[in-house]
Amino acid sequence: MTTMTRAIAKMLLLPIFIVSVAILVKGYTSVGDGFGAGIIATLGVLLQYTALGSAEAHKLPLVAVAPRLGLIGLIIALSVAFTPLLRGQPIMTHFPPPGASVLHFGTIEILTAVAFDIGVFLLVFGFAVGTIDLIALAHDERIAQQGADSLEQQIKDEDR
Amino acid sequence: MTVLVPLLIALSAAPLAALIGTINRRATAPAAVFLAALSCGAVIWARAAGGGTFTRPWSPTWHLSFAFTLDGLAILYALLATGIGVAILIFAAAYIPLHLAHQGRSQADEPRFFVFVLLFMGAMVGLVMAQDLILIFLFWDLTAIASYFLIGYDQHRNEARTAALMALLITGISAVVILIGFLLLHWQHNTFLLPEIIQQATPGTTHTVAVTLIAIGALAKSAQIPLHFWLPRAMAAPTPVSAYLHSAAMVAAGVFLLGRFYPLVHLSQELLNGLFVVGLASMMIASLLALVRRNFKPLLAYSTIAQYGYVVVMLSFGTAAGVFGATFYVLAHALAKSALFLTAGAVTESTDIDDFKQIGGVGRSQPLLAIASGIAAAGLGALPLTIGFFKDELFFAAALARGPFYTAVAVLGAALTFSYVWHFWSSIFLGPAKTTTKPIPLAFMVPICILATLVLLGGIIVGPAANLAIAAGQVSFPALVAKTPAYHFDTRPENLLALATYALGIGIVITRRWWYAAVERFAVFGRQVGPERIYRASLAGINRLSRVIVAAELRDLRGRLTTVLVPTALLAAAGFVTTPTEGAYRISAFGWQDLPLALALLLTMVGAITTTIPRSHLTIVLALSSVGYSLSIAFAFFGAPNVALIMALVETILTILVLGVLSLFPHDVLIREHTWQEPRSLRYRDYAIGIIAAIFAFATAWSTLSQPAITGTVARDFMLMAPEAHAKNVVTAILADFRGLDTLGEITVIWIAFVGMLTLLRRRQVQR
Repeated sequence: MTTMTRAIAKMLLLPIFIVSVAILVKGYTSVGDGFGAGIIATLGVLLQYTALGSAEAHKLPLVAVAPRLGLIGLIIALSVAFTPLLRGQPIMTHFPPPGASVLHFGTIEILTAVAFDIGVFLLVFGFAVGTIDLIALAHDERIAQQGADSLEQQIKDEDR
Repeated sequence: MTVLVPLLIALSAAPLAALIGTINRRATAPAAVFLAALSCGAVIWARAAGGGTFTRPWSPTWHLSFAFTLDGLAILYALLATGIGVAILIFAAAYIPLHLAHQGRSQADEPRFFVFVLLFMGAMVGLVMAQDLILIFLFWDLTAIASYFLIGYDQHRNEARTAALMALLITGISAVVILIGFLLLHWQHNTFLLPEIIQQATPGTTHTVAVTLIAIGALAKSAQIPLHFWLPRAMAAPTPVSAYLHSAAMVAAGVFLLGRFYPLVHLSQELLNGLFVVGLASMMIASLLALVRRNFKPLLAYSTIAQYGYVVVMLSFGTAAGVFGATFYVLAHALAKSALFLTAGAVTESTDIDDFKQIGGVGRSQPLLAIASGIAAAGLGALPLTIGFFKDELFFAAALARGPFYTAVAVLGAALTFSYVWHFWSSIFLGPAKTTTKPIPLAFMVPICILATLVLLGGIIVGPAANLAIAAGQVSFPALVAKTPAYHFDTRPENLLALATYALGIGIVITRRWWYAAVERFAVFGRQVGPERIYRASLAGINRLSRVIVAAELRDLRGRLTTVLVPTALLAAAGFVTTPTEGAYRISAFGWQDLPLALALLLTMVGAITTTIPRSHLTIVLALSSVGYSLSIAFAFFGAPNVALIMALVETILTILVLGVLSLFPHDVLIREHTWQEPRSLRYRDYAIGIIAAIFAFATAWSTLSQPAITGTVARDFMLMAPEAHAKNVVTAILADFRGLDTLGEITVIWIAFVGMLTLLRRRQVQR
């Protein structure tokens, strides 16, 4: 990979994250949702893997903690789902209820459903990045193993 | 809400300890002791605050609710699980580092032990408090899972792994039996709430079957014959595990369940008779086998089987006295037995010996240990001034009320207990010193002394223990009224029977030389024809069956696909046969505005056909993903931008993951598949299969799409409801709100799959 590719890949990561977050938070008012946003963010990370190599990409701030982010996402989704129980409502009851007015922040709506979607986003991101990282690690290791094997073979050949 | 405090504290103990363990390994053990003590304190506090119940339906459609209660029964068993848990954890804090060093293992394994002990404790507290059958089942299984990891803690030892698997299978399969019983009860009463079921229950065949299934599961957990053999094997676990699980917690869960369901059990006399037979067999056979054990822990394991046999026998009497005796017995036994297990662990750790033949005279160098464990042994052997005296007194009282046969059985059983307990204690502590002993750490002595003190205190001031047992017994047997037992210096039958027991016990001890060979032959005979052989044979049989199925299904990709597609095709064919085909295949009008959509679909078609041609895996994956992308374009033209976006993204991530997995395949396999020339005959067969399948799929799709559009579908409702849910994007509203529960289930599955992958791939890396 040339310096150029590396530089551009690094520069692209932040915009990709911003796009994905935009798709995430606006999911309730326009196209997109937590799942799609998670995949887009993952693609941004994947770009780093191809451009920088897995060893370097593995050390990127969000990548290292991806599995933990996934767990946090699951916990967020579960708590959104089960908190209504404490108030005596069935699970997955969202707030504000139908008919009530919704707090707006620009075009973004503040809803528990959006919080649930953020949980989905984190989980998808954690799962996909974590999987890519695992595969990349296993792959690197195999190449290292093959290198070691061929070196061993070479030494044997020379001994002969 | 009071009732939830001990539950939440006990359940959060394991995650908290795990968290502390990741921060500071050395802090795990003290934290675990503290958390267990906190849970114990919470149980005591909640008891003082009056207990109570908490019921909150969370899925009314399925009759599921979070229902917990802190009644007498729950208090007794929760106190056992948390209180003895504290003692065990203090012991383990000193034992586990030594144990790991002994085996040359990394100390990094240490936190895992404490986390699983606390997980077990939390599951026990949940189990004893749960009132909803499904919750009971969940906590029951959680105890089995925690015990699997605890018994198999020394995972590098084959016998530990076998024992862990055996315990998991026996208690896990019996848990499924229990679940069937629960579902039968639900079918009959249309509720999962135990109090409601108890109110409605009437004797009958369904009732008997359901409760018998539950009782079978409970007996397996309490290691009753013939499902007892996992317990002696489980002695492969580290000593604190045996002391906890196999005296006070896991095996106690079985009789707890019997106590919890006793109002139902009580309705069926056949079941009570069955319980008597099982309990009697366990009591007698396990006592005999305990007499001829050569090692410390197996003797105690068989003793546990026998002691829970007593409890089952007392429950089988179906009388107030029997129930009171049984609950009191569980309490007294747990205290004494866990102290004896810990003694065995302390002695083995200080002398490296666990064999009765090589040990002796430890009392000379360890007088305090000898006294403390002597008190515990006296408690198990039912000597006066210990809590054990009353357990036998209540046992005799209950047996006397039933008749002379039961009384004779009770005396014989108690005498056998007396003699193997004597054998255990005297072999270790009396006689000439045969070995040198290392000093015993204070953390070993403290819990043994605490437990021994409780055994002694319970024998002098019996009130608190009796009150616990009476409150617990009243849950099982509402009509129970009992007097606190006390010492009576007269010739009442119970006292005479106790004297007879001691005499008989001493007789058995003295005549050991004459009966030893015969009992040992019996033990060998039991090993040769016992139920463990059946277990091993069926395990081997299941393995063989599994291998046959795997060979048939997983031999190659074709077999794999066949097992999925052929049944699918049969189902679809059944659909064709049974539905009328009239008007099913219509061709509707085609306008110019449909042209982009048609072109996109054409692209999809080309992609699909292309997929069938190449042999290179890379090309196949890429061709397949092109199908997905074209379909995504088709959705975009169809006016579904959200679906199109998701489709493209799904396709992208799927392709990437498949390519990633392909890169992990062995290269030679990929190359072999790539270069393999398919014989001509096979190729024609494949063409034929492909074309038939395509026609089939085509006909199915066409007929579905030709159906007149169904009006008033759920999709239309969703569209109408979306503004109500403050959503302009109906797809997101469906995912996050209307069908949010589905999404929740799906992401949970994704997480579980990820954890599995993490474990598999990381494990491989560690092994290299």
